[in-house]
Amino acid sequence: MNALLKLSGLIDALTERVGKSLIWLVLIMTIISAGNAVMRYTIHYSSNAFLEIQWYLFSAIFLLGAGYTLKKNEHVRIDLVAGKFSKRGQTWIDIFGIIFFLMPMAIAIMYLSWPVFMLAIETNEQSNNAGGLTVWPARLMVPVGFFLLVLQGLSELIKRVGFLKGLCPDPTEKPKGPTAEEELALAIKAQKGEL
Amino acid sequence: MTEFLINNMAPIIFAFMVIFMLVGFPVAFALAANGVVFGLIGIELGLIGPQIFQALPDRVFGVMSNDTLLAIPFFTFMGLILERSGMAEDLLDTIGQLFGPLRGGLAFAVIFVGALLAATTGVVAASVISMGLISLPIMLRYGYDKRLASGVIAASGTLAQIIPPSLVLIIMADQLGRSVGDMYKGAFIPGFVLTGLYVGYVVLITLFKPSHAPALPPEARSLRGAKLALRVLTTLVPPLFLIFLVLGTIFLGIATPTEGGAMGATGALIMAIMRKRLSWSLLKQAMETTAKLTTFVVFILVGARVFSLTFYGVDGHRWVEHLLTDLPGGEIGFLIVTNILIFFLAFFLDFFELSFIVVPLLGPVADKLGIDLIWFGVLLAVNMQTSFMHPPFGFALFYLRSVAPASIKTTDIYWGAIPFVCIQIIMVGLVIMFPQMVTFGLDEDVKVDLDKVIIEMQDSGYGVPETPPGISGTPEENAPAEEDPNKAIMDSMKQDAAK
Repeated sequence: MNALLKLSGLIDALTERVGKSLIWLVLIMTIISAGNAVMRYTIHYSSNAFLEIQWYLFSAIFLLGAGYTLKKNEHVRIDLVAGKFSKRGQTWIDIFGIIFFLMPMAIAIMYLSWPVFMLAIETNEQSNNAGGLTVWPARLMVPVGFFLLVLQGLSELIKRVGFLKGLCPDPTEKPKGPTAEEELALAIKAQKGEL
Repeated sequence: MTEFLINNMAPIIFAFMVIFMLVGFPVAFALAANGVVFGLIGIELGLIGPQIFQALPDRVFGVMSNDTLLAIPFFTFMGLILERSGMAEDLLDTIGQLFGPLRGGLAFAVIFVGALLAATTGVVAASVISMGLISLPIMLRYGYDKRLASGVIAASGTLAQIIPPSLVLIIMADQLGRSVGDMYKGAFIPGFVLTGLYVGYVVLITLFKPSHAPALPPEARSLRGAKLALRVLTTLVPPLFLIFLVLGTIFLGIATPTEGGAMGATGALIMAIMRKRLSWSLLKQAMETTAKLTTFVVFILVGARVFSLTFYGVDGHRWVEHLLTDLPGGEIGFLIVTNILIFFLAFFLDFFELSFIVVPLLGPVADKLGIDLIWFGVLLAVNMQTSFMHPPFGFALFYLRSVAPASIKTTDIYWGAIPFVCIQIIMVGLVIMFPQMVTFGLDEDVKVDLDKVIIEMQDSGYGVPETPPGISGTPEENAPAEEDPNKAIMDSMKQDAAK
């Protein structure tokens, strides 16, 4: 079990690093898109490559970020029923869900999307739009994204079993410190204090 | 047993979808797993061609290259930067001073600022928190009724859901296969009418229960005359500029809604830098929240697409259609039933779940009944807005509770929300009765965005050959579906399977 927990720690570190790097794509994507609109209107220059790079980045965010979002426990749940269970009960639900829901579907999509990527490489698939981008990086993001999701799923599974055995802390415990909403409230209060 | 399964596959899948989601595991994965599990069962029973899963990567790819969804991170990012830029605080402060002398003035100020914020940030939590911290204490200090004060704040905060540019409308446009620009135009007048109804309610209160919403005494107003006029003008510049940058460019056709979002986000960044409110930690926090929100939202859609692959594969859409087209009252009956359904589902599901799971089932039926889908989308958006105000789960109420002083009891917040939920229901009725509110701003012939239609309609292309008895299937398909490459593939798969 200790070796597994060590593995889980390694996966978490990888996911964390991927997630923390990905967030910058939000800013880059924003600037490219706004810049594209401004350039088209002012100097009448536009290119399909600029349009396509936006959704490449968008896809990178949500596909490669799926594991990160899982780690942060931010995928939306309906806790109408589960909310009434004990912490251990909820952990059991998660273990069940990871094994029977998350893993099969993520592995299926990962497995099925790999040949699509290989085909894109072999045929040197290009965008249908004139001046568009080459397609394989977008195709590659699907299996890689779901692979990261499977990895993180494994890590979450280990942590939950560890929690039930009393070997590690509750993995769904939110890190201490204010939430974004609480921070907003603090900022407004601070400003009112200055006034 | 097998016979029973084969004949009732669609309702069974639907029932299991509900169970899978109620288990409490993330919705996106539960949905996708449901699709995979029943896809395998369907193949085993010979209901679906064995190659159905080959379409999975394509489903994901369709979500990736969807330009409309790209607007989600942009508008989220814009809202997150704006909420910390101090704009809301300035507005509430100044507009409160402006309307203060009027009876009910602070409530009017809250509604007005709520609408302005809705047209810029579109984040319910941020609006409610700002108002709860700035306006609520002043309202209470000068004798406002607790329920009125908390109700008006929660309701004005939720205006962000219906006044463009809102995420709900973007997703609605995507799911119903209409352009976001048209959806925005259609939502404009209903958004203002709803704001007007809130104002009307406060006017009634000032007439019949003046003590519930008193005017501010002179000593509470630090600014007046020319000084106040100048303050009002300067604080209105940033939101109006942003509204132009986003909605103006979209409506004038300079930018697509996606680009409008990006321009708005850039504008918000520049404004925050100019006001010296942008720090590295704030920027990182906003980017991280945007990335996570984008991920979970888009993953619900991925899950829903995997689910629909199987569900439509067993003709689930025909089952839903059959259930809904046979309702008494035709078009109006359908609208009333779907709205009641959404209203009650909104107690348990948030609008992302509703729009990705329920709307795609309703859309094609509405279309077949000849209902304008822009009208339908706006109608559902107004309806879903209530999900933020339903006691006891409504998010707006939850955020208000987190910042309201202890002197306001949670029951006050719940009771305060109820008149506004009623107004919301009246508004749904008004939109049903007067579709002109939505269609007024649109072109004569609502232009159909072909790309979107294909994305929307490709689901309805399955299962043409064998229509189970008892289900009124019409063999002719919608024209756009014919252009869908997926349909041809799926059809050939079906034929293979039949062999």
